[in-house]
Amino acid sequence: MDESIRQALIEIVGAQNYTNSLIDMVSFSYDASEHSGRPVCAVWVESAEQISKILQLANREKIPVVPRGAGTGLSGMAVPIKGGVVLDLTRMNKIVRISIEDRLAIVQPGVVYATLEKTLIPYGFFFPPDPASGKVSTLGGNVATNAGGLKGAKYGTTRDYVLGLQVVLPDGRIMKTGSKAMKSVSGYDLTRLFVGSEGTLGVVTEIILKINPKPTATSTALATFDELADAGSAINEIMYSGIIPSALEILGKETIIAINQNTDLNLPEVDAMILAEADGYTPEETDFQIKKIIAVFEKNHPKDVKLAENEKEVGELWAARKSAYGVLARIKTHFVLEDVTVPMTNIAPLLKGIQDISKKHQIQIATFGHAGDGNLHPQILYDGYDPDQVKRMEEATTDLFKLAIELDGTLTGEHGIGLSKAPFMTLEHDPVAMEIMRNVKKMFDPNNILNPGKMALEE
Amino acid sequence: MGKKYDFEEKYREQILQCSRCGFCQAVCPVYGATLRPALNAKGKMLLLKEVMDGKIDLNDELIETLFQCTTCANCFQNCPSGVPVMEIIKQVRKDMVSVGSCHPAFKGMNEVLKNHTNIYGENEPEDFERERNKKAEYVYFIGCVGSYREDESTMATLNLLDRLQVDYTLIDEVCCSGVLEDVGYEINDALAAKNIDRILHTGAKTVITGCPYCYRTFNNKAQYDQLLKEGIQVTHITQFLQDFDFGITTDKLVTYHDPCDLGRHCGIYEEPRNTIRKIATNFIELPANRENALCCGAGGGVRGAYAKNSIAMARRRLDQVEEVGADIVLTECNSCVHNLANARLRKQKFRIYNTTQFINELMEEAE
Repeated sequence: MDESIRQALIEIVGAQNYTNSLIDMVSFSYDASEHSGRPVCAVWVESAEQISKILQLANREKIPVVPRGAGTGLSGMAVPIKGGVVLDLTRMNKIVRISIEDRLAIVQPGVVYATLEKTLIPYGFFFPPDPASGKVSTLGGNVATNAGGLKGAKYGTTRDYVLGLQVVLPDGRIMKTGSKAMKSVSGYDLTRLFVGSEGTLGVVTEIILKINPKPTATSTALATFDELADAGSAINEIMYSGIIPSALEILGKETIIAINQNTDLNLPEVDAMILAEADGYTPEETDFQIKKIIAVFEKNHPKDVKLAENEKEVGELWAARKSAYGVLARIKTHFVLEDVTVPMTNIAPLLKGIQDISKKHQIQIATFGHAGDGNLHPQILYDGYDPDQVKRMEEATTDLFKLAIELDGTLTGEHGIGLSKAPFMTLEHDPVAMEIMRNVKKMFDPNNILNPGKMALEE
Repeated sequence: MGKKYDFEEKYREQILQCSRCGFCQAVCPVYGATLRPALNAKGKMLLLKEVMDGKIDLNDELIETLFQCTTCANCFQNCPSGVPVMEIIKQVRKDMVSVGSCHPAFKGMNEVLKNHTNIYGENEPEDFERERNKKAEYVYFIGCVGSYREDESTMATLNLLDRLQVDYTLIDEVCCSGVLEDVGYEINDALAAKNIDRILHTGAKTVITGCPYCYRTFNNKAQYDQLLKEGIQVTHITQFLQDFDFGITTDKLVTYHDPCDLGRHCGIYEEPRNTIRKIATNFIELPANRENALCCGAGGGVRGAYAKNSIAMARRRLDQVEEVGADIVLTECNSCVHNLANARLRKQKFRIYNTTQFINELMEEAE
């Protein structure tokens, strides 16, 4: 990068907010995926105006710019694969306004999910889409990936809560989308276009979020099944029952075995374990719901069904689900955590198919996920320093994506395309849809400076 | 094939187990004060991965992050992959010292302890108006910070021990030198031998330490094994005090800051609270407490090497004190007292004490 460009960047953000030191460049090379790419420099930005100036400069000089939040993404979308400038947005971390009467919160993109959650507690409100990384992940990142979470079955994903945005476009223009009103059909829905756009169309600098009153009561139950098919029918019947569980999580056999090998939980090593939670405002309300769910479990040949009687038992039932990610992360040096999503009726066939893929490629795949919205997390475990295992992981991944599409599903429910799934975009999207997406990208970013190399937008 | 560095030999698997989930970022005090991801545990593990992959070298460019860790262990506490970050950092610092890349402050500390008895290189120890090296039931071991920086607190602690009629003696103590192990060097055998010799000379069966770091060093380091072999028990003042009745109480709103060395490193959470509840009728926990406590920013040599960030970390902890509205912050570590007191803003009217000093003050007022 030219010295003059470096100087111009320093002039915009100040020397203390510019870095090209090795330690920063290495830390900005990665997210939580298997990808990496070294940037040339990074800046910590503080305002939309600064970002506007940076993008004007980058657009003129045709330098890649990669917006970044906490870097917890699982598909490589914040990885500067084509070098360039990393735009670290974590210091734009102010909660601009909370208006309970209007049921909205206006935040800067660097606000951490948990910070907003904590700020809303005294009001008895919450922001429902809660990614597992919520302690660290930023709301800007959640918007860029359209993050989901455990409560997706009942409360949806980030997209369902974004009312409006302030965005800096790749040519430096600043644009507002949406409104503070609860509903709006005024023109094209530009807000939705940006949610989940992975930082390829613009840099989000302010977010208007809808917030919800927080239910004060929950009931929790757990069921285990010797046969995957029975677990599948139970899930189908819960959907039919009229109850919308606030969480409906499933753990596959491989995951249960891995948890048993690494903890003292002593879980039954069954084909599937389902954990259900109902929320509401009175115990009567949540009991009513959970009893209906339990009745469904009992009709479907469970090995065991348990209702949590108190806080301690709730903790015990959730312990297995919550330990899954950590336990699986310890087994091999590398893993990829996928997030294929299918219609709920296809969860059991998807789980079965994953077992077959695991056998076919002789690679360990442990699965858990959100049965309530059809979103499973097969975690493929491998040694990234063994070329043979890497090859088998890649083959298994390809089969997994094919399977998800065959089952009327999608490549990604909540992690995004990024780099990991870019090669598979055409599996899911027809040539017309791909062309439209590429044209949209060209319209916003004709010089392809913003987060280039992602989402298969360049072919 | 032999590995290039010892850290790789010992910790390769553990470093690669870091899944980059970033949970460490949520609790790392250095990150919290700087919002610079290269400085949290994930940033450090990534650098070490690149060193192992042969992409970068262990050199001066890495000092700023690898020597900027308070070893507070909050990352390890919250790591789903169980990466033993502090152990890895300690080993890497040794490797860096061996290739000649070390933070000058730590190199200086190692040099100072070759010729002096304390980390500050001071020649005139405070005498605390007490006879030293006499026969007694207990040895009270002050530690460097208590001897040379927080002497008022130490004097109060000794006065409290007198009020409680404890049969103790001070010794001509020297630095336990445990901190050297944290910053890339080895415990100084000569200093350890002096301490052991002087403790044994008093005939005491128990050493009470004022400093949680000295407590850890005496109990866990091979250089001090002889103390345990001779049947000497080493206890921290907070454990010692919990059995006493002080006969005083305060109605001020009191909170407690868990020092990392006492809490996460030794699992001592309840003893100080037992004592404080006896004397304070109004006790409130800080938002991050016990195993989740936020570090004061002083540990791991960071106060000496990165003073500005160290103070910024302490300010974040004091923000939590403000949040709960406490009048009094008690803790059990002179380093914490020192750093928190230095960071306190004029508008922050609460006071910061070691529990011993506070109790002594209350007893003095009651007399």
